[in-house]
Amino acid sequence: MIHDKLTKTLIGESVYTDDFEYPNMAYCVFVGSTQAHARIKEIDVSGAMQAPGVLKVLTGKDLIQYMDPLPATSDFSVVGWHWRVPKVYPLAVEKVGFYGEPVAAVIAETEYAARAAAELIQIDYEVLPAVVDAKHAMQPDAPLLYEEWGDNVQVHVTFEWGDIDSVFSEADRVLKVSWQEGRVSGFPIEPRGCVALYDKNTKELTMWGTYQTPYIAQRCISTTLRLPRSKVKVIALDIGGAFGNKINSWKDTVVALGSILTGRPVKWFENTREFIVTGPHQRDTIWEGEVAVTNGGKVLGVRAKYIQDLGVESTNRGAAAMSIVPACAAIPNAYRLKALKVDAYGVVTNKSFFCAYRGYGKDKGVKFMERIMDWIAAELKIDPAEIRKRNFIKANEFPYKQISGYVYDSGDYEKVFDEAIRMADAEKWRQEQQTLQGSGRYIGIGYAFTVEPAGVTVANCVFTGATEARIRINEDGFVEVWSDRTEIGQGGNITIGNVVSEILGANLEDIIVHNVTSDMVGSGPISSRGAVYPLSAVAKAARELKARVVKIASFFLEENEENISVGGGLIFSVKNKDKKMTFKDLARRAYFSPGPRGLSEELKLKGDIVLDVIATWYSPNTAKNPTSTYTTFCSSADVAVVEVDVETGNVSIIKYVHVHDAGRIINKQVIDGQLYGGIVQGIGEALIEEILYNEAGELLTKTYADFLMPTSVDAPGILLKHVETPSPFTETGAKGMGEAPIIGSKAVIISAIEDALRPFKVRIDRAPATKERICAWLSSRKNGDKEVKS
Amino acid sequence: MNQNIFLGLRNIPSLNYHRPGTLKECLDLIRTFKSNSKILAGGTDLIPAFRAGRLFMSQEGHLIDVNGVKELDYIREEQGTIKIGALTRLAEVESSQVIRKRVPVLGQAIAQMGSLQIRNLATIGGNLCNASPAADSAIPLLALDSIVKVANSERERLIPLNDFFTGPGKTVLSDDEMLVEIQIPLSNASGSCVFYKLGRRNAFTLSVVSIGVYVEKEGNRVRNARIALGAVAPTPMRAHNGEKYIMSKNLQREVIEETGRIVSEETKPISDVRASAFYRRQMAFILTKKALNCISYS
Amino acid sequence: MTVPISLKVNSEVYKIDVGTNETLLEVLREKLKLKSVRRACQEGDCGVCTVLLNGKPVNSCLVLAVSADGCEITTLEGLSQREDFRALAESFVRNHAVQCGYCTPGMIITAYYILQSMDEVTEETIKKGLEGNLCRCTGYANIVSAVKDAYEQQK
Repeated sequence: MIHDKLTKTLIGESVYTDDFEYPNMAYCVFVGSTQAHARIKEIDVSGAMQAPGVLKVLTGKDLIQYMDPLPATSDFSVVGWHWRVPKVYPLAVEKVGFYGEPVAAVIAETEYAARAAAELIQIDYEVLPAVVDAKHAMQPDAPLLYEEWGDNVQVHVTFEWGDIDSVFSEADRVLKVSWQEGRVSGFPIEPRGCVALYDKNTKELTMWGTYQTPYIAQRCISTTLRLPRSKVKVIALDIGGAFGNKINSWKDTVVALGSILTGRPVKWFENTREFIVTGPHQRDTIWEGEVAVTNGGKVLGVRAKYIQDLGVESTNRGAAAMSIVPACAAIPNAYRLKALKVDAYGVVTNKSFFCAYRGYGKDKGVKFMERIMDWIAAELKIDPAEIRKRNFIKANEFPYKQISGYVYDSGDYEKVFDEAIRMADAEKWRQEQQTLQGSGRYIGIGYAFTVEPAGVTVANCVFTGATEARIRINEDGFVEVWSDRTEIGQGGNITIGNVVSEILGANLEDIIVHNVTSDMVGSGPISSRGAVYPLSAVAKAARELKARVVKIASFFLEENEENISVGGGLIFSVKNKDKKMTFKDLARRAYFSPGPRGLSEELKLKGDIVLDVIATWYSPNTAKNPTSTYTTFCSSADVAVVEVDVETGNVSIIKYVHVHDAGRIINKQVIDGQLYGGIVQGIGEALIEEILYNEAGELLTKTYADFLMPTSVDAPGILLKHVETPSPFTETGAKGMGEAPIIGSKAVIISAIEDALRPFKVRIDRAPATKERICAWLSSRKNGDKEVKS
Repeated sequence: MNQNIFLGLRNIPSLNYHRPGTLKECLDLIRTFKSNSKILAGGTDLIPAFRAGRLFMSQEGHLIDVNGVKELDYIREEQGTIKIGALTRLAEVESSQVIRKRVPVLGQAIAQMGSLQIRNLATIGGNLCNASPAADSAIPLLALDSIVKVANSERERLIPLNDFFTGPGKTVLSDDEMLVEIQIPLSNASGSCVFYKLGRRNAFTLSVVSIGVYVEKEGNRVRNARIALGAVAPTPMRAHNGEKYIMSKNLQREVIEETGRIVSEETKPISDVRASAFYRRQMAFILTKKALNCISYS
Repeated sequence: MTVPISLKVNSEVYKIDVGTNETLLEVLREKLKLKSVRRACQEGDCGVCTVLLNGKPVNSCLVLAVSADGCEITTLEGLSQREDFRALAESFVRNHAVQCGYCTPGMIITAYYILQSMDEVTEETIKKGLEGNLCRCTGYANIVSAVKDAYEQQK
């Protein structure tokens, strides 16, 4: 039975990491640096080691005896890119590189004892100058995080598609464009944690925890601890949200080592503060460039420099150094671009590591392009909705090969966009805007269009595109499903259930979807790939199993295969309604009574007799179009109306419309839930969310009281509508979805604020547009500043 | 407290615990333990301070849990004065019929503090004694020229709230004293009083600037005015220059504008992670105008 | 220092010894094994630890167990036994107000209180009442719908 999480809790079956208990379990607490950049002169753990209840205290110097450095999650140096992988241990060894970086781990009988002992640890730092700004980090005199590099550029790639020079020379106009996003992250309400158990008998390590991607975690943990993969099992428990923030595993290796060394199960469960301080951060991007346009509003090309702040690094603790690739390749968005050139840099700074957050990298290119569209509209005095339509890829052009190499599967951008404009009653609001200006009130209408690439496969990195799914019918009539689609609250389990039920004919309540473990190869629910890869593998396995079910049932029911159908928990003949069996009947007969011995000769020779199938699946899009990293491409339109209080900078959202094309809808409630959630996150990013460090590199926003996320009061009413252009590339016709809402919402709110402030000639080139920033922009325009001071 | 390490969560210290049942017992305990003790009321400031490592006490310290001193939990109207016991929960003050009828601005301000859960725990006395420059309950209380009664085991004294705060987190309380009652003379509340709060998000947020403006007017002429602001000075403050300026003037646009300007100049805000001093000063100006405009239309 | 206290939790009286520094959250989870009361920020900023204390929603992470001596506490385990809770729970499920589920116990306790005790139950008062319960997955839309739906049902 696939229970929702409330029912699961009510029947006492939910097990989140903090609930997981083992007899004799010890507790691990991490101790971090209060310096952003320093050499560790000495760590004195003697007091901690003697504290009551302490079993073990580990420092970086201890780790290097037992562990290899964390393996790289991606390495493109093999294809000749400027790609550096530092040597990283989960506890700082000689240097600390960010505020809060773990320098020691205390393992004790209780969490209380571990924390008490932690207080006794003394650290002597040789403070080094910190660098907290990516542009500063790129300057020749900037402090270096990794001296052996000679600079702070972890990765650098130049992308060029089409003939950029000729596109710019033929343009009627060239506009300067710049756009910056502040640092944010997902910080789901449940922080991270795990329980590690090393069994000395079998020499097997089991890890239970908040693993969004158990298979990837297994790779990291086993490699680091020099254990064969076959001896490491990673199990995802109930997970309280992830959004990409729980992909990596690095501290877990220390927890595992703690279990190995103490012989006890060891739990680590951080609190929100530790999560915010040492968790993965995201956005923190700078774009500077130019766009070439025609007078008629056609976008010809973009050339830009893109600087991605990777924090301390994003190849070891993090897995998003390569997000600069989709950041650049997603720029063309929904439009027909002729050329694109981006000089992309991933720069290290003394901040927590960069990893994934809903959007990953694709979001950045799309938001950049949507800002560009608004600016072109303003410059050419063309309506911002119209400018997009003039550049849209048309419905009859799919599959469409974008210049960046992605092959867009399907879509009808005009239909999606027009519907959103209609639902928002944009015309009426335009009139209202005029009227209100007369009385000193400023409303704005914003537009954003998002194409969301999903279903990723990349060489030389952990997001490989591998997936497998297994389905088995048991003698008790239940159907078990395993996949790599970890349930993180996104509705993975129920949609798997829906697909299996639809194809196999079993009742939903008889389908058991297992928690994901590292037993199944795959990258987990990252980058919206759930409905693409895992779900396609599930569908494929379901079809294969169904074929086997039909064969065996046709034998037992003495009916021709073509007359056998499934549905409602039954396998039946369409010709004779007395010929039917339940899945339980079938399984009993197939397994036991009479069992395989009693099947036909043909079936026995073919070996198709066990009701258990594993399938793998790979994107036919990428297979046929090797430059298309992604398989499916959702599209969505956001239209929003805001009122800006030009005295306080307060922004009220008075109308919000989102029209979405996720291909074939399997479960509308699940999809709508993703849309509401993503939109509110994006609104948060547009208005209030910002991770701030001071110049010395101390993190200033350490809690939910300072890193502000939307409350229920901050969430506006949202109107949703769907368009369905099925994907030709997935087994179900569904597209991977979930990131478009967070992308479009951030863009549309910025767009709407800018539209409201048009009388003041404010151009918004950064987010978040906090109240204070809006006031500052207004007053700098009032002071006649030519450049808006951001 | 080890400031040399980052620890996501600190242990709450194991202190000597006392739970007085009467005010007398409570004051005796405070006299005995003085600054080696902390008062536990709602815990909504104390517990986070321990958890974040902002506050440290050794296990020789004493925790005086005043939640049993029920005689301090009341809201009364007597002899033309609203009297609120220090232990009264913010949620009780907000929903009190007496407050809603007599000094609704206090309930309106409290409704915007913290969250429902916080308001069910936090006490009005605790909010004042924590003495944050942004203490929202202090703002309407200052605008209504409230008085606090503090006591030690020997005697009580009355202190105008305006003289209560001495700095961020600091009050005039000596180490053997406790706040016991807040008094709002109804004669101070005969006019109009409005409260505005500006935060970085729409709910459950600390004030970036808050304001409480009280005006008695004859027609449009100001007979009496008090302007209190939060989060723009080391303590919740009264803008005396602004008040002096607006006395006896008509509430018209230029006067309101000038009052706002004067009030803004009187503030002494700092820049912190929530806002810059510049923005705070600017918002003091804006909110003063907004409040006065609201009052002039009523 | 440990102190013996008496707590009435979900209609059962427990006599336990607690450290003077143990929070109600810790005692409910660790000593009474009431795992629906969750940990996240543990400093009053997120609301996942919300329980009813003498009938009112509070952050159990901010209450010292010793201070709650003699009090009545209700967690989701207790609420789920109440007839007047059933409709709200069903409404949450029906309206897809639960995604990852981590914030749900705290959220539904506050929602229950809103339905039982607040004078006015409108979209605005529901949202305001839930301000102290953060959710990152749902964007709150379906949670508010679920509470409204349950309110309509109970009228």
